[in-house]
Amino acid sequence: MGNLKLQNLTRGAKIRIGLLILTLILPFFPFVTDYMLHIAILIFLYMILALGLNIVPGFNGLLDLGYVGFYGIGAYTSGLLTYHFGLSYWVIIPLAFINGAFWGILLGAPTLRLTGDYFAIVTFGFSELVVLFLTNEIWLTRGPLGLPGIDVVSIDLTLFGGPKWEFVGELPYYYLAIVMVLVTVFVMYRIQDSRLGRAWFAIRDDEVAAVSCGINLLGYKVIAFAISAAFGAVGGSFFARWVTFLSPDMFKFWESFLILCMIVLGGMGNIWGVMIGALVLVSLSEVLRELLPLLGLPVGVRFLAFGLIMVLMMRYRPAGMMPIPAVAAKMRAGRVKRKKVKATVSMKQ
Amino acid sequence: MTPILEIKKLYKSFGGLLALNNISFNINRGEIIGLVGPNGAGKTTLFNCVAGIERPTEGQILFANRGRTISISGKKPEAVTALGIARTFQNIRLFDNLTVVDNVKIGRHCRTRSLFFGAVIRNKFQQAEEKEIAESANQFLEFAGLKGRGEEIASSMPYGDQRRLEIARALATEPCLLMLDEPAAGMNPQESRDLMDLIRRIRNKGITVLLIEHDMKVVMGVCERVVVINHGEWLAEGEPQDVQNNPKVIEAYLGTGAAGAA
Ligand SMILES: Nc1ncnc2c1ncn2[C@@H]1O[C@H](COP(=O)(O)OP(=O)(O)OP(=O)(O)O)[C@@H](O)[C@H]1O
Ligand SMILES: [Mg+2]
Repeated sequence: MGNLKLQNLTRGAKIRIGLLILTLILPFFPFVTDYMLHIAILIFLYMILALGLNIVPGFNGLLDLGYVGFYGIGAYTSGLLTYHFGLSYWVIIPLAFINGAFWGILLGAPTLRLTGDYFAIVTFGFSELVVLFLTNEIWLTRGPLGLPGIDVVSIDLTLFGGPKWEFVGELPYYYLAIVMVLVTVFVMYRIQDSRLGRAWFAIRDDEVAAVSCGINLLGYKVIAFAISAAFGAVGGSFFARWVTFLSPDMFKFWESFLILCMIVLGGMGNIWGVMIGALVLVSLSEVLRELLPLLGLPVGVRFLAFGLIMVLMMRYRPAGMMPIPAVAAKMRAGRVKRKKVKATVSMKQ
Repeated sequence: MTPILEIKKLYKSFGGLLALNNISFNINRGEIIGLVGPNGAGKTTLFNCVAGIERPTEGQILFANRGRTISISGKKPEAVTALGIARTFQNIRLFDNLTVVDNVKIGRHCRTRSLFFGAVIRNKFQQAEEKEIAESANQFLEFAGLKGRGEEIASSMPYGDQRRLEIARALATEPCLLMLDEPAAGMNPQESRDLMDLIRRIRNKGITVLLIEHDMKVVMGVCERVVVINHGEWLAEGEPQDVQNNPKVIEAYLGTGAAGAA
């Protein structure tokens, strides 16, 4: 414990702790409005979602276009359990996690044998199915009418003779979301540095070499897909208890694409990159939502802007803003080589 | 003593092409055996069949380990690795984006067990396992002559070192039989000599080595026995010197126009 002194920390750790403290005290700055807190919570929510999705394309190299399906399943799990049974959110989190993982296994086990694009198409179809189910199974979900009046999150200590504290306004959700992001990041770091994570990276880099090391491709892909789905569902469970209203059109394909963009933009496979991707795209989306009407353009134009960003990224920084270390190292080496080549060329001239 | 691997009447066809045509030979426990033949003879295909990457069209592959003899033809590659057969690849296949030590750690995969909950909670079992993985990975690196290189990115290493790393990774799976597919390709003479030394040290650990190699110096230098195949057919078998002087072998190499037939 003695080495927890400030001067012993690396620069990276100092930056992280600084950022965390800043985030924790942010709501107390006078200029911070409820609206800004709302956006911040949205950013945190998308960080959780992007980190969850990242497992499949970032860690395993598989394209997943149906992530929003699990987000929707988690949201409705949370909404319905609250609506019908009044379950506490703290009980719902693990249930949503398990339900997400369950559907992940159900979808993944038969389809993860498919390669690349075929698998992507299946996941896409799945997320569309989820939306259709939520829209048409009116007996369960009330369909397009949506599910209103979901209880807010509360901390209920009445069983132990304590008080019951309901989450009113954005502030408590802000802190709840921070805790959830921290837990997610913690889990991701632990996985990344474990036998499971290494098996995934092996699959991402070379499937033939991976099986030759004794890695069962299907098994590990299913685990990845299940855990990814579970985090999507947990994100959904938070969403339901935060906005307290759900409707099927909140879980359209567009959401999957947006989350995928965050990963690609931030740096596929890099935990920090993915979070920054979420931060940038959610903020940008909100800024554009305000800005575009002022310019006399419809709000939908922001999708065009995202498309443009993706095209530019693919052209100039295909590995994202914060690539994984090896890719970053290769890019550095490439730059050095190019510089050397340029230098020799100019010397010859 | 029963051979460690028996290949019996093995056939493999790719569409109309017979890549392996009635191949039979045995590998004895503890020997270094060479598998040679001109380009396209079917050597790599044979490796793939043994390793479970390809399913033989016909024939049997029997693997004797821990007093039992099992048929491994048609088994899944991960199962074959778990049984104790490891291999390297002709076109190096490393995990390019990972560090050198992580590559070897992945080789430990089939001898370890922790999954999601172990990773997140880091219970005693998982911690002990991680410690074992890290320690043995470093031992295998040292054994392969890559001590202190663990933190480099695999794909940024020179060619010869990548070949060594692949061997270290294969050794990390704790094989009884190690199959090397042209490990000396692209190595300079000094590196080839180091490689021969490494192969001998591997055998001295009690691991049987099956070696595909075009570099005749290496084959003559380390192999105790050589099997020659040509056009997917068994051609000759015996001590390196005898095989090298076998007229059929010379004809196979010269006849196909392959230069450097010893
Ligand atoms: N997957 C495949 N599909 C079709 N044909 C294949 C396949 N793999 C190998 N072949 C063919 O089988 C034959 C044997 O190939 P193989 O790679 O086993 O030869 P090799 O002895 O390893 O040659 P080299 O010394 O060049 O590595 C070749 O004619 C090759 O074209
Ligand atoms: Mg070959």
